[in-house]
Amino acid sequence: MPFEEVNSKVVRARVSPASPVLARRGAMLGYSGQVTFRPVHGQGRGIGGIAGAALSGESNPMMATEGQGEVLYGYKGLHVTVLELDGAAPLVCEADRLLVHDAGLQTSVQFLGSGGIKQAIGGAMTGQGLFTTNVHGRGSVALLSHGGAFPLQLNGTQVGVDPQAYVGHVGQLTVDLAARVGFRDVVGRGSGEAFQLRIGGYGTVYVQASEQKF
Amino acid sequence: MAQLTAHKRVLHADLQGDRIRAASGSMVAVEGNVDFKSAGMGGGGGMRAALKRAVAGESISLMDCTGHGRVYLALDAMDVLVVDLAGDTLTVESEHILAHTEQLRLDVQFAGLRGVTSGQGLATTTVTGHGQVALVSEGPVMALEVAPGQDLVVDPDAYVGSRGQLSMNLVSGVSWKSLVGEGSGEPFSLRFTGHGLVLVQSSER
Repeated sequence: MPFEEVNSKVVRARVSPASPVLARRGAMLGYSGQVTFRPVHGQGRGIGGIAGAALSGESNPMMATEGQGEVLYGYKGLHVTVLELDGAAPLVCEADRLLVHDAGLQTSVQFLGSGGIKQAIGGAMTGQGLFTTNVHGRGSVALLSHGGAFPLQLNGTQVGVDPQAYVGHVGQLTVDLAARVGFRDVVGRGSGEAFQLRIGGYGTVYVQASEQKF
Repeated sequence: MAQLTAHKRVLHADLQGDRIRAASGSMVAVEGNVDFKSAGMGGGGGMRAALKRAVAGESISLMDCTGHGRVYLALDAMDVLVVDLAGDTLTVESEHILAHTEQLRLDVQFAGLRGVTSGQGLATTTVTGHGQVALVSEGPVMALEVAPGQDLVVDPDAYVGSRGQLSMNLVSGVSWKSLVGEGSGEPFSLRFTGHGLVLVQSSER
């Protein structure tokens, strides 16, 4: 069930017994109809999921919304971007950027270290953490961003993204951390762009208009 | 010739082998082959500019972006406005400058008493030349017109910049009421006379 954008910061989700949604806990602004909210732990992946989420720090308290009705979601005045996933490739993002998604979508935590020690160090250096969340399946996702997320289409090209402004990506993309730390950065005269995520391949990268993380 | 275009809260800077200056750390994404390098203490204006800035406390930290491609610049989700200059001068608070093209020259102008009382430091920045300058603001910028016989009074905290033949002076509404805490919250304001445009943001710093 696609989400409807009420304005740039609020989405409306239609909930029916056949299509419940999962949302960030506490993000409900209002609803109509017969709707119930139930906390979920480990994002519906059982005991292993709970343990994984606790270990990784990628635990975002979520709640299931069930019943029949319309629910409005928004969080802290942050901008919301609605994406439709076609099931071809997962959405990769930070767990705390997920506002609401179809319950039919699967989320899993990915350990960046499996991409090699270099990538693990990269995650730790940029404050991205060592884990990211993958969202698999067909359905809608609403992502939070500070200042609105804009898409960059990649067709075999490469872009550099500020790690703090990176929101997420969909498609066959490789993400690599490029550090250009020179003498000037050490003495405090750097350009402020010492670290960049080099993203290449085929797909879409979402970038926000701010360097604020949450 | 580098081209600056504003898209809501993001500035697109298209570079064709030339250079722009942007606020340090404001890059959110980059396509193509672009190098970033600190422009130094004076914001690229040389030793004299650096000295003047140090004296005036008008701090500005810029970086050079050189190369081919498109740079996406943004600062704290603030709104972006591009101003085209054709040889004239834009007066602007330095903290509002996001980027400018190479041909423009930044200088410091001492503002005197006005700056001290409004808490904005002693000086403002002037941008002169042919090119484009991108400004950031909390909320969209309004351009308010000033004409002879039609003065404009704005809040110093909402003032972003001005352009044209304008003279500015500080109006004080301080009375015994403000001293005992019964003021209206608008003790100082800026009065503009002359001919030109004043840029005002929809928020107070």
